Amino acid sequence: MKKILPPLIPFVAVTVLVEALVRGGFVPSYLVPAPSAVLRALMDNRAELATAMGKTSAAAFLGFALSTLAGIGTAIALSSSRAIQRSLYPYAVFFQTVPIIAIAPLLVIWFGYGMQTVIACAFIVSIFPVIANTLTGLLSTDPALRDLFRLYGASPGVTLVKLRFPAALPQILTGLRVASGLAVIGAVVGEFIGGEGLGSVVDVARTQQRVDKVFAAVLLASVLGLALFGLINLISALTLRHWHASEQA
Amino acid sequence: MHRISRRAFLAAAPALLGSCGKRNRIRLALNWKPDPQFGGFYAAPYQKHGLEVDILPGGAGTPTVQMIGAGSAEFGIVSADELVLARSRGNDVVAVFAVFQNCPQGIMAHASRHLASIGDVLQEGTLAIQRGLPFARLLEKKYGFEHVKVVPSPGGDISAFLRDEWFAQQCFVMSEPLQARHAGVDVTVFPVADIGYNPYTTVLAASGAQISRDAGLVKSMVSAVREGWRSYLDNSKPTNTRMHERNPSMDLATFEEVAQAQKPFIDTRETAQAGLGVMTAERWKTLITQLAELGDVPQAFPAQDCFRNF
Amino acid sequence: MADSTSVPATARSVALRLEGVRRAFGGLVVIEHLDLQIEAGEFLAVLGPSGCGKSTLLRMIAGLAPPDEGRMIAEPERPQAAFVFQDAHLLPWRTALNNAALPLELMGASREERHAKARAALDQVGLADAESRYPAQLSGGMRMRVSLARALVTEPRLLLMDEPFAALDEITRFHLEVQLRDLWHRRGMTVIFVTHSISEAAFLANRAVVLTRRKGHIKLDRRFDLPAIRRNELRSDPRLGREMGMLMDAMEEE
Repeated sequence: MKKILPPLIPFVAVTVLVEALVRGGFVPSYLVPAPSAVLRALMDNRAELATAMGKTSAAAFLGFALSTLAGIGTAIALSSSRAIQRSLYPYAVFFQTVPIIAIAPLLVIWFGYGMQTVIACAFIVSIFPVIANTLTGLLSTDPALRDLFRLYGASPGVTLVKLRFPAALPQILTGLRVASGLAVIGAVVGEFIGGEGLGSVVDVARTQQRVDKVFAAVLLASVLGLALFGLINLISALTLRHWHASEQA
Repeated sequence: MHRISRRAFLAAAPALLGSCGKRNRIRLALNWKPDPQFGGFYAAPYQKHGLEVDILPGGAGTPTVQMIGAGSAEFGIVSADELVLARSRGNDVVAVFAVFQNCPQGIMAHASRHLASIGDVLQEGTLAIQRGLPFARLLEKKYGFEHVKVVPSPGGDISAFLRDEWFAQQCFVMSEPLQARHAGVDVTVFPVADIGYNPYTTVLAASGAQISRDAGLVKSMVSAVREGWRSYLDNSKPTNTRMHERNPSMDLATFEEVAQAQKPFIDTRETAQAGLGVMTAERWKTLITQLAELGDVPQAFPAQDCFRNF
Repeated sequence: MADSTSVPATARSVALRLEGVRRAFGGLVVIEHLDLQIEAGEFLAVLGPSGCGKSTLLRMIAGLAPPDEGRMIAEPERPQAAFVFQDAHLLPWRTALNNAALPLELMGASREERHAKARAALDQVGLADAESRYPAQLSGGMRMRVSLARALVTEPRLLLMDEPFAALDEITRFHLEVQLRDLWHRRGMTVIFVTHSISEAAFLANRAVVLTRRKGHIKLDRRFDLPAIRRNELRSDPRLGREMGMLMDAMEEE
């Protein structure tokens, strides 16, 4: 209860305030829906929203899983040699800077309409933080410990598995936290272009000027982002609880 | 200085300041990139009518109807059906000039499929359409979407259409089909009017509050726009050059072609008599009936509040 | 009487000979030309002001950095050295036991063997009941003892220590010094101990070399005239003071 109450209070306060403003006519309901209207839209369309949320969740989760694997793998490769790092890292930065809304139509051309394109969007948008944070983590290994491993003749592979990777874990998890939210955003953007899921609900509802339904879908997308974030936090707590300051006390 | 003229000056000052306000910047929000459907707005002689107009180009999803309601634009381009919907949500938007007397929306398909009617398009393949639009929902109601894969409209981009023979998409009948033919693909076009749906399109609108506050301003705007459209219909070339600068995605030759092809939708028998952009209550009533069928508005929704001819 | 506990080279220790060793970093010559002979089983302290090259020397002996010139010969053979750093440098995600067992794990020993030896090593430094604790749950002194256990777990012939107790409080330091000396006495390995502290050098070692501030030359090479068994009582013994005085003179002269 102690953990849930503090963030709950501002949420309730804002909700009540917005409801009052809309009902009192201070804010037009076609611009901002009353929270009660959003709730009603959630209930009225629960079947459609549930299906849509299922699709977006699957795409976001798969895109995130792919960017976790590919991101960590890429960072490991980049960290293995200065030459590789210098020549290839700038291309990784490309994933950060490319505007997904501009290349999403291209992705549709390459991969067609369907979940594969949505997953690709989620992947592209979320991979960079994983690469950047994992790389920083792998490059920050304590030099004394690296000496210790060298002293006992450990191969680079062993040093990676037993030293560099565990040491980088807090940093990796930070990257995953950022990437999780981005994966949801990427999936929704992909759905604007490619159809299906919460993105499609938002797009269609917007065309119909159903702001309440738009907000309902957006709310669910946020919940999805929160769930992924929470998952990473759980993993972080389990793996770091004995040894990292961030999970202690 | 004479006392009288000084007093007169002070008395006249507010009115003078007010008329300076008349030359306030007016924002006109478009709902798409600059292309021939907006030609008359770019050609209009605003200054001659005492107006400083800022044209704000739009793109996919520009919320012009909400912008008018929220006051972030004094005028906007909307479609008649979205205006009715907005009014039903409490957004007091009023149409003042209808560019397209007849709706130029439609669906285009590869000619090689030899389709006979709009219903045939929905029997197989993929259809790219904005699903939330009333005409899409009417199509779905009439024919059902069970046999066709529905995907979001790529917004003017015909690359997916060109690559896939079984891909059909929504279009403006005088625009995308032309581009497809240029790219070597022959098309069959089914206007939306085929299912009896024909709302005014590319409609200039303002808020009801704006009209009450300063009807004179709106009248000047409509006059300027009417002249602009007359001049664009007569000679579209100079305006096309200006628009092409702002929207290089369509080449100049296509701009010309589309400008010519769209004329019959704009200049009709009605407009020859009553002037460009004029609207009738009849047409609005028909639209409302169709939207009521879809459950978007109540049947008795007042048509006459939706528009005003200036 | 000279201390004669230097043990002949056996399976438990190693003798080292450094000839003409030189090491420079960029333009800076840290060690210009060093000749040094270390006997098997000797406890050697290396002293000198900051930047005199003592840590560099230790790392070269460990094989972590090669000399630019000169050679290092080990008898009977090149040993697997153990190293203790100034900070414990434990792996924070491993228990004390698994930290102590690390060297054996890296050398390929079986789980049973390395756990058994790690337990024994922890017991030797007095941490038998702390084996399941994580470094975050140990005090600074306890972490250093785990680091020491880790160094001893392979029963090394050569133990290299780079100011290991510098970060600890005095009482803990005193205890650990006594413990270290005892361990050395029982095992007989060769120890090279770099330190800033004159009192520590004198208390722990049989022999000390003092390096010059620049270029790493040996200013003083002294075999201590002190008893073999060292207890805390020795700290107030005038004999210790005398040796310390000699070291201090050598350090101050520059």
